[in-house]
Amino acid sequence: MEPLLKVDNVTKRFGGLLALTDVSFDVRPGEILGLIGPNGAGKTTMFNCIAGVYKPTSGDITFAGQGGAVRTNGLKPEKMTELGIARTFQNIRLFGALSVLDNVRVARHCRTSSNFFGAVLRSRSQKEEEKAIIEESMRWLEFVGLAKHALDGATSLAYGNQRRLEIARALATGPKLIMLDEPAAGMNPRETRRLVDLIHAILDAGVTVVLIEHDMKLVMHICHRLAVLDHGMLIAEGKPEDVRANPQVIEAYLGRGAAHA
Amino acid sequence: MLAKFRPVLFVLAAAALAYPLMPFSNDYLLHVVTLVLVYMVLAMGLNILPGFCGLLDLGFVGFYGIGAYTSGLLTIHYGLSFWVIVPLACANGALWGVLLGVPTLRLVGDYFAIVTFGFAELVVLFLTNEIWLTRGPLGLPGIDPVSFDLTWLNPDWFYELEGEVPYFYLAVLMVAFVWLVMRRIEDSRLGRAWFAIREDTLAASSCGVNILRYKVIAFAISAGIGALGGAFYARWSLFLSPDMFKFWESFLVLCMVVLGGLGNISGALVGAVVLVVLGEGLREILPILGLAPETRFLAYGLIMVLIMRFKPSGFFPAIATASARNPLIRDLKKRLAGYESGDKSGTAA
Repeated sequence: MEPLLKVDNVTKRFGGLLALTDVSFDVRPGEILGLIGPNGAGKTTMFNCIAGVYKPTSGDITFAGQGGAVRTNGLKPEKMTELGIARTFQNIRLFGALSVLDNVRVARHCRTSSNFFGAVLRSRSQKEEEKAIIEESMRWLEFVGLAKHALDGATSLAYGNQRRLEIARALATGPKLIMLDEPAAGMNPRETRRLVDLIHAILDAGVTVVLIEHDMKLVMHICHRLAVLDHGMLIAEGKPEDVRANPQVIEAYLGRGAAHA
Repeated sequence: MLAKFRPVLFVLAAAALAYPLMPFSNDYLLHVVTLVLVYMVLAMGLNILPGFCGLLDLGFVGFYGIGAYTSGLLTIHYGLSFWVIVPLACANGALWGVLLGVPTLRLVGDYFAIVTFGFAELVVLFLTNEIWLTRGPLGLPGIDPVSFDLTWLNPDWFYELEGEVPYFYLAVLMVAFVWLVMRRIEDSRLGRAWFAIREDTLAASSCGVNILRYKVIAFAISAGIGALGGAFYARWSLFLSPDMFKFWESFLVLCMVVLGGLGNISGALVGAVVLVVLGEGLREILPILGLAPETRFLAYGLIMVLIMRFKPSGFFPAIATASARNPLIRDLKKRLAGYESGDKSGTAA
């Protein structure tokens, strides 16, 4: 099957620091890919390269969005969102002073077009667009279970719900691929179970998922495939059960010698 | 918070609108009120940058000056009508907003503020030194007042606005217009993009907002409104000089916005009333106390310090539910109320 996202020999260097070295992997449409590795392995850097926040020093990232595969390195984050890649952040980055609904409404930006004149003149098309934005935003808030909080302030939500709101915001951009950066971080077991259900629902809605996660139980349970990074290098890729048995992976997580023990 | 005072505000507004027609109305007072209205326009225009977009602009007065001189010079040299000049002045202000914004809006925080400060100084220097155009420090006297030229309908229909009363009403119209434009922008795709930039730039761009473009749009609209205020001011005061557009004017307008509450349009209006009235009051009182009138700037400084200490988000901070008046949101609120009672909370999957 044609991959949805193709990461090809990507290297990212920050001055003297090699954050990623020749990393290559594919994301296939309709799968959940887990990107794992110890702290500082380069997972979030990889996300940022894909999302357009960083430009890879060398290598190619190709995304099969609307209208065929596009080489995306060097494109800005807003362009990536438009192509169909949405993401959440490791440290929650909501628009704190805005309401829950407005957080999601902002995300409709790249799929709508009214401008200054539409806003001032309140043209018919602008009004219809505003209505559609609210409908679509509410649809995603219902999807993550936050509809009843729509008009509350975003920061008044409980921690787990803030993470869900970030996911709703990402989904509202109309993506083909969503990248979740440690979605379960700081969640209690009950919230984590609800998150697993949500991720499956996202997949059922036709959105491919890539996630960074430290909760190994969660990763092994829901990911179809895993890619393992260590010190900026891809050390393993494959099915969760194969990756779990890979001596290099065990060494990366538990230290030298552990694989033989 | 303003909503609580709404009936009081209505009465005050009605009284203010009726006052000029009363036999006891006083020209000095009307002059001050018209000045308040001009500053209301400026405060609403500036509010876009620090209030909506989170950009500190210390050079707003530069655009006010550009608008005023555009208006003054076009009147003196070409005798254009006020109604033609207003859009031209706004466009010229917005143009300079774009010219300044495109190269500098990549800067963030204090660096950007310094650039805007420098820009305002440049405008004053230009107005002072380019004597061939602006007559420099001598100023620009003899600007025609606003007139309605309907001679193409009837040769007798030519009206020139004289005295303070018509200018007061013209300024009220201008404030109402800018207020309406601001309210509509605030609750639109454009306004939400600005708020997103203010709250979190990275998250905004990952929602698809082109940061630089939306900052430039904000800068252009803000500059255009500043120029609108200037265009009116030129045709009202009938005299311009470069020192009307010194840095402290920028600071004064910024004080109004901060006092009222960053990002709150009505707050900016309150800030304009408080600070202009205070300034005029101090101008009267200080000489009685044997102090120079310029001492009033100390009072502004003191007010800013006190606000930062006790009311860091101003007297009327912008609240999360800013678009509560939108019928679509009201509608949604009703639907949500139905949700709660039926306890159909819509949990995921």
